[in-house]
Amino acid sequence: MSINAAQAIGASNSRGGSTKLDVEVAPRFAAGQRIRVRKINPAGHTRMPQYLRGCEGVIAQDFGVFVFPDTHAHGGDQKPQHVYSVRFTAKEVWGREGGERDVLLVDVWDDYMDAVP
Amino acid sequence: MNGVHDLGGSDGHGPINPEPNEPVFHEEWEKRVFGMFLPVAATGAFNLDEFRHAIERMGAPSYLNTSYYEHWLHAFETLLVEKGTLSAEELAARRAQIAQETH
Amino acid sequence: MASSAHTRPLSDIEIRVKALESLLVEKGLVDQAAVDALIDKYEHKVGPRNGAKVVARAWVDPEYKARLLAHGTEAIEELGFSGMQGEDMVVVENTADVHNVLVCTLCSCYPWPTLGLPPVWYKSAPYRSRVVIEPRGVLKEFGLELPEATEVRVWDSTSEVRYMVLPERPAGTEHLSEDELAALVTRDAMIGVTKVSK
Repeated sequence: MSINAAQAIGASNSRGGSTKLDVEVAPRFAAGQRIRVRKINPAGHTRMPQYLRGCEGVIAQDFGVFVFPDTHAHGGDQKPQHVYSVRFTAKEVWGREGGERDVLLVDVWDDYMDAVP
Repeated sequence: MNGVHDLGGSDGHGPINPEPNEPVFHEEWEKRVFGMFLPVAATGAFNLDEFRHAIERMGAPSYLNTSYYEHWLHAFETLLVEKGTLSAEELAARRAQIAQETH
Repeated sequence: MASSAHTRPLSDIEIRVKALESLLVEKGLVDQAAVDALIDKYEHKVGPRNGAKVVARAWVDPEYKARLLAHGTEAIEELGFSGMQGEDMVVVENTADVHNVLVCTLCSCYPWPTLGLPPVWYKSAPYRSRVVIEPRGVLKEFGLELPEATEVRVWDSTSEVRYMVLPERPAGTEHLSEDELAALVTRDAMIGVTKVSK
């Protein structure tokens, strides 16, 4: 049942641990689109930091389809969806204390965002 | 969950204090904890998201007052007992035995 | 006095680790040789010298640099570096106008194949809490003061994508070889808390 040393080193050198999925899922957003992070407060696992909830940003890049951690941590459902690099200005996130020329780039899953009309 | 692990923007954690010429590991036990992650995960005992969440559930005082590899150790113990790989009783008995032998 | 296998009683945490490992070995879930091999690899064979080779190659080879910025994982693998916690890599470039810095506010995500295991400060609350809200103040603590006109980009690694900074090549290094350039590149410059200096 256990893996041996060669298998362990082989696994550590491989991309086998990637959570990127080779499945077709339609993206909800496209580069350049304005989004708002949903105000969520789940009791379980999430990868959407509190400091960004409710903030508006712009989709910078679509990284493709990945496992969704919020479901994967609770029962193992992968709920495949796109992850994007989203650009937020520090002013949007922190208000007066945000730096004029500072920006945050954060990886955000489809389920954490809504389009800004 | 809105846990203390979600640190972005919070105040009061003190200076950063980088350690010059820091070793990869500071203690022998840290190496063992690190080295067990991949072999145990490879058995399908848990996934990485479950592992992270086990750390998030450890409670704010423990999270802030213990080191990175203590977080990992806590996650191993929590998940392997919750999933029935080990029992809390056999872990406790083995600890008592080791403590006695190495006293 | 008879010699003893140990000179002091084990700490509570040492006892917990020994108990866990011995039970997992007995149950056939862990092979201690696999644990030893992984420790040896990440203590001695993987580290920021890997990332430094990637940076130096990008500095001397514009075509490699273009591949690195477009397809990070594959370009890094060309130099033989791949694997766990670097399965999906994105490399971000520092320029005269843009400075990038990396963090993981939720845990301690870090690109293991190119930088090795992260230092304690990267994993700790002071850095993770503050670099997103006052990046310039944090960079000053590392001795880096940026012009006001520079755009500071803070990358919070919330997903399984792993980032690495491609630092600026310092001026006056035109005569240096690729190996000599790699020797200048530091871990902290590839996290983005410092620059590379000559």
